[in-house]
Amino acid sequence: MIRPPDVVDVTPGPMLLSGIADGPSLAAHRVRQGPLPEADAGALLAVIAPLAVRGRGGAGFPLARKIDTVLAHRSRRPGRRPVVVVNAAEGEPASAKDSALLDVAPHLVLDGAVLAARALGAGTVHLVTSVDRPWAGAAAARAVAERDDHGIRWSRHEAQARFVSGQARAVLELLSGRSGLPVTSWVPESMSGHRGRPTLLSNAESFAHLAAAVHVGADRYASYGTPQEPGTTLLTLTEPAGPDGSFGGSSGGSGRAGVDGVPVVGVRVVEVCHGDAASQVLSAQALANPLLVGGFHGAWLSPRDVPALRWSNAHLRALGASLGAGCVITLARGQCPVEETARIVTYLAAESAGRCGPCFNGLPALADEVRGLAEGADTRRRIAELTGLVRGRGACAHPDGTARIVTSLLTTLDGEVEEHLDGRCGCRALSTVGAA
Amino acid sequence: MSAGAGDVVLRVDWPECRARGLCAELLPERIVLDEWGYPVVLGPVSPALQALAREAADACPRRALHLRPA
Repeated sequence: MIRPPDVVDVTPGPMLLSGIADGPSLAAHRVRQGPLPEADAGALLAVIAPLAVRGRGGAGFPLARKIDTVLAHRSRRPGRRPVVVVNAAEGEPASAKDSALLDVAPHLVLDGAVLAARALGAGTVHLVTSVDRPWAGAAAARAVAERDDHGIRWSRHEAQARFVSGQARAVLELLSGRSGLPVTSWVPESMSGHRGRPTLLSNAESFAHLAAAVHVGADRYASYGTPQEPGTTLLTLTEPAGPDGSFGGSSGGSGRAGVDGVPVVGVRVVEVCHGDAASQVLSAQALANPLLVGGFHGAWLSPRDVPALRWSNAHLRALGASLGAGCVITLARGQCPVEETARIVTYLAAESAGRCGPCFNGLPALADEVRGLAEGADTRRRIAELTGLVRGRGACAHPDGTARIVTSLLTTLDGEVEEHLDGRCGCRALSTVGAA
Repeated sequence: MSAGAGDVVLRVDWPECRARGLCAELLPERIVLDEWGYPVVLGPVSPALQALAREAADACPRRALHLRPA
């Protein structure tokens, strides 16, 4: 079974995670960052637009463009006042950076939300966490209780424990008191979002970047990263899954046996500068194996490309991948990417909300074929057919993301798939021994 | 197929669609059905086909087929 991590190790970092040793209190945050500066929309955009602060969906949409769109569509009429939504629903089990931020540096996130709300003229900030990570919701509640932001009302929500719960339209459904499943939208939420209002919805990390840029200033912010991609980014590193399918084996407290013999699931959250070498945070074993970048909706990288990998969107794009929400899943030596993909796609198929026909029918069919491949059948033609049938045919990007990881297995790791089918990768031999 | 001048595009409201299949009968030039009966849109709709496309959208019992600007 795939579930969110029990243990999240957070390593101090250069900017967002710089002061976590002082604790998450507002007092410590103010000592470190100073008072919240006043910034109107023009001033805010002047700081963040050149810094290319981005959302963390697959497309990495620039936050400044979202703010611009909200500004263009707001008005004084009732029902048109903008809304700010901090999305830490984090439905992806391989991601923990938004929950971790709320736990260790909540006031950076909340400062970013207040800066955005004031610049846009929004009166309410919605905070969304996941019901299966109650510690993140509790941390957000503690932080909100410490604050006294004039003219800002905080509203907290808990999203269902589903992979698609963090999708923007699913979050807006939750806010409207419905079930929190994705629905069709023809316009971006920055034009018409929560109850039709222009809505600035982004992940918690993006709000923290916004606050950091304003607090430390554009020059210091840009001293991290590269001229093309200034600043830092958070990654959630998942080390090899155990034989029972749970994640584990990271540094620190994870990997130990949990309650009733259920292994503790652990991940590591790190802050890296754009352009940094992956070898600074990945183990020698991870560097020698295929690497899944961008999470369960992400893409595999070939072991040929992993040792020289840099955390740059341009570099990753050239390799057919993207940072997405920053989930990085590493393999152990001898762990087969075909089996790992089959495990993930089986999970993703079960996580379909079941509302869109091509996803509801296509993902289980696709999962069957990928499991067939893992069991040694050459199902590649049928897999290519099915990925073509699900792509672009749903209210949210769940079918597209599921097609992406499978397609990257067949293209980027075509050599590994050949070896697997020839029985040369070792994993089928292992499973035969296990079955005997 | 890329969109030309005056073209509109067909969009399916996927959570609403229940694979009734009328759209493919009324607009076979642009819609075929996949193996589960759901519409596969083949490309943008030129001005010459737009009356038929409108008819197909109006005929959908689920109101799940929409014409949108390209």
